[in-house]
Amino acid sequence: MEDVQVVAMLVRRCIAGDAAAWEEIVQTYNRRIYNICYRFAGSGDDAQDLTQEVFIKMYRTLASYDHTKGAFVTWVTTITRNLLVDHFRKTKQDRVTDSMDTVASEHEDVQPLSEQIQDQSAPPDAHVRQREVGEAVHAALTKISPELREAVILRDLQDMDYKEIAAVLRVPEGTVKSRINRGRAELARLLQRTYRQVM
Amino acid sequence: MPDTTHNGMQCHEFDQLLIDAIDGILSGAALDRFQAHARSCRACGPLLAEAQAGRNWLKSLAEVEPPASLVANILASTSGVDTQRLQAVARAPQPSISWLERVQAAMYGYLEPVWDTVRQPRFAMSFGMAFFALSVGLTVLGVKPSDLRQISLRPTAIRHAYYNAQARVVRYVDNVRPVLELQAAIHGIKRNLAPAEPGPAKQKERKNDTTQQPELKQERNYSRTENQLILASAPRGSFRRGVNACDLPVVSVTTYRRFV
Repeated sequence: MEDVQVVAMLVRRCIAGDAAAWEEIVQTYNRRIYNICYRFAGSGDDAQDLTQEVFIKMYRTLASYDHTKGAFVTWVTTITRNLLVDHFRKTKQDRVTDSMDTVASEHEDVQPLSEQIQDQSAPPDAHVRQREVGEAVHAALTKISPELREAVILRDLQDMDYKEIAAVLRVPEGTVKSRINRGRAELARLLQRTYRQVM
Repeated sequence: MPDTTHNGMQCHEFDQLLIDAIDGILSGAALDRFQAHARSCRACGPLLAEAQAGRNWLKSLAEVEPPASLVANILASTSGVDTQRLQAVARAPQPSISWLERVQAAMYGYLEPVWDTVRQPRFAMSFGMAFFALSVGLTVLGVKPSDLRQISLRPTAIRHAYYNAQARVVRYVDNVRPVLELQAAIHGIKRNLAPAEPGPAKQKERKNDTTQQPELKQERNYSRTENQLILASAPRGSFRRGVNACDLPVVSVTTYRRFV
């Protein structure tokens, strides 16, 4: 995904004060980090704030990156994941009171998940149907436990290999695979409960 | 998950191979055993179906487009655009400032707190009252602004000015009509309470008396009734010459009290 030497040079230029190199890093990784944050936090506003926090932390700790210890994308994802965990802990009390009828984000229609899933009988066209399915899956993804959620996001949405995920989550590869299996199954059960027609 | 054996594979072994089977890297005899176990095991069969369905759901999610302002916000909050703009502003030539403007700016920095206090209504009211009291006091003392030019600070001149001012104050107070009326009333009260003085005629008679003899007290007893019977006394020589006392004539004298 990335050329180690190129990224290492980019990082050295950033540390030396090259604003253009830093802007190149931001341009390269903002989309990836924003998607991870959005899928984990479930909210576009939260994802934007979290993405900015990730880059601020990256900018402050860029000198601590050692390319011999791992890929830059793994280092960036680790920072992102740690901030997401902190964010989840801060908002944990609010999430406890959430229900299936809670709207997940502004990217979705203002309609509860249960109604979104039940109202699949006659979609206007395939595009609209695909969008609605995506919103339902996104809403269901925010309902599973954070340990399983981060594992399936990194694997199925970010296409990271198990070794990288294990490095980011700081757990063995076997644990990563188990979490991915359980996360997929829990998501499917959550969706199949009221959305059997799509299966 | 119950650890049972179906078709030569236990459930925990099935669980370990599950992710490889979904990823499509399981093949050969291992894949056959895996599929046979999934078909026969009531717990593992649904798990395989759910895991595959979940993966399909997740793969159907499209990548989300980040907001257009995200990069600009990140650069602004770290080191990007704003830093360059600030550096450009810092490099721009600054307009020259004269020394008078610098002094004014420095004085303004010192005087601004005082001026803020002076501008408060209560302070302005107090200052106005103090000025009014001072002007009234100077007017009463007869001090004119034109006199300030000729003022002398010598000790004798200061002492002279002090006595003049004191004299003005005393005259001013004494000439005030209520003070005069009050003094007249006090004088009248004192005069009424004091004992009456003898009349001027008596005093004149007294002044003409060159005998140097003390006055008879019974003649000065003004507290008795106005008509009194007084016996006339005869000279001692008349008794010696053999005149009887009973033969003396009785004289009636009436005295009148005179009030001044």
